[in-house]
Amino acid sequence: MKYIKTKQWQIKESEVTSKTLFNKRRDFIKLGAASLVSSGAIFELLAKDKIPLANLQYKKDKNENNLTLNSYEQITSHNNFYEFTTNQSKVKDMAHTLDISNWKIKVDGLVEKPMVIDFETIMKKFPLEERIYRFRCVEGWAMVVPWIGFELSKLIKYLKPLSSAKYIKFETLYDEKMFPDQARGILSTISYPYVEALRMDEAMNELTILAVGLYGSSMPKQNGAPIRLIVPWKYGFKSIKSISKISFVDKQPLNSWQKENKNEYGFYANVNPYVDHPRWSQSKERVLGKFFKQRTLMFNGYEKQVASLYKGMDLTKDF
Amino acid sequence: MRIFLFVVFLTPFFIALYSLFITQNVIDPIKYIYTFSGVVATVILFFTIIISLMKRFINLMKYRRMIGLFGFFYACLHIINFVVLDAQFDVDFIINNLIKKPFIYLGAMAFFILVFLALTSTKRLFRKYNKYHKTLYLSLVLITIHFILAQKSLDIYQIFYIFIIGVISIFKLIQIKNLFNRN
Repeated sequence: MKYIKTKQWQIKESEVTSKTLFNKRRDFIKLGAASLVSSGAIFELLAKDKIPLANLQYKKDKNENNLTLNSYEQITSHNNFYEFTTNQSKVKDMAHTLDISNWKIKVDGLVEKPMVIDFETIMKKFPLEERIYRFRCVEGWAMVVPWIGFELSKLIKYLKPLSSAKYIKFETLYDEKMFPDQARGILSTISYPYVEALRMDEAMNELTILAVGLYGSSMPKQNGAPIRLIVPWKYGFKSIKSISKISFVDKQPLNSWQKENKNEYGFYANVNPYVDHPRWSQSKERVLGKFFKQRTLMFNGYEKQVASLYKGMDLTKDF
Repeated sequence: MRIFLFVVFLTPFFIALYSLFITQNVIDPIKYIYTFSGVVATVILFFTIIISLMKRFINLMKYRRMIGLFGFFYACLHIINFVVLDAQFDVDFIINNLIKKPFIYLGAMAFFILVFLALTSTKRLFRKYNKYHKTLYLSLVLITIHFILAQKSLDIYQIFYIFIIGVISIFKLIQIKNLFNRN
């Protein structure tokens, strides 16, 4: 007999809110908002945290690791998005120039049929689920984010790469009108377009997702709208934002940060408290919103799920 | 004048306290304190060396010691942030960083020079040690390298700061050369 094993973050089909009920709830909220404002603690909470009303339908994460979520405000006000600026708190105000209407993703390389997919097609094709993940930046800050998205493996299966494809490579949009730092030419902070890549087995891992939102609503522009990669056991810079191109290749691509400084940034960028970055100690992290630091976990706490991918590798060399 | 300078040089400190404790809109406090104290200390210390260059326009020579000490005050905040908030008094962490990370030991060397300068800045000691106060230039060189190393990559504004530092250095070199020629 064949049966499907439930993953630890999955919830029963019966617990999923049906679409009709979900929409009804939204109508109810709209209708009742005025009368509820004074008494509804939820609205106070929403106002305090500035969470937009949820517009995505998704399976909820049960948060079995009991992670304390960062607030919407924190997640969307502290962003590394060098196409705009290196100032993490200013990205939010600058990101409006990014135009995500009619977003397309070009797919090429070692794939059965190269194509261009619309973001809307993706949204229709892949059911969404929430994934509450730790997020760790190489600079030492960290947060916990309730991403909404779907497993990258599902998209890969749909795209049908050839068996010769060993790596999947992503690129952020190149458009000097939308991204001020790209327009600076040789004076730009790093070289563009931003490139990131994963080994095929890393990409197929069930933790790897493509995120299209957080806290129930669409991805804010500063966080990499409309669609970005999330690889929770790697440093944040691997999680490329605003993906506009996917290529399947047989040789290890050179990632943006590796190109920038290969002594400091390797291809893998796995979170590893025992392998220091030449400038930032990686043993501890500061969770945004907290004054004091905490210990960093091996593979950012996802050792059980991903350690096998790197069996036999010297992580001090393949960092 | 003295009071005016006091207010000017303490303003950044109060702005930082205000956003850290009153509005609490700082998302990453440790990084914020590093950046704020580092930038202010660097600007003030560079300011102390251009005082002699600009004395024909505005003479602040007699306040130079006080301004320098303000620079030292912000440098102290920078170090306190490292020891208390970043390292949380973890001696292993501090020593490891000091030994292994050029970015940190260059900064530390610059700071030790500042400590020496601050300690010998009293009237009596300054008379004896003033010739060693030229080490401030070494400290500023180290600070500049520390500042460049601290960046993940240099953006256009930071390149601009470095350009200004370059301009100051050229003026300073011309000034030193003129002094030698007079002798």
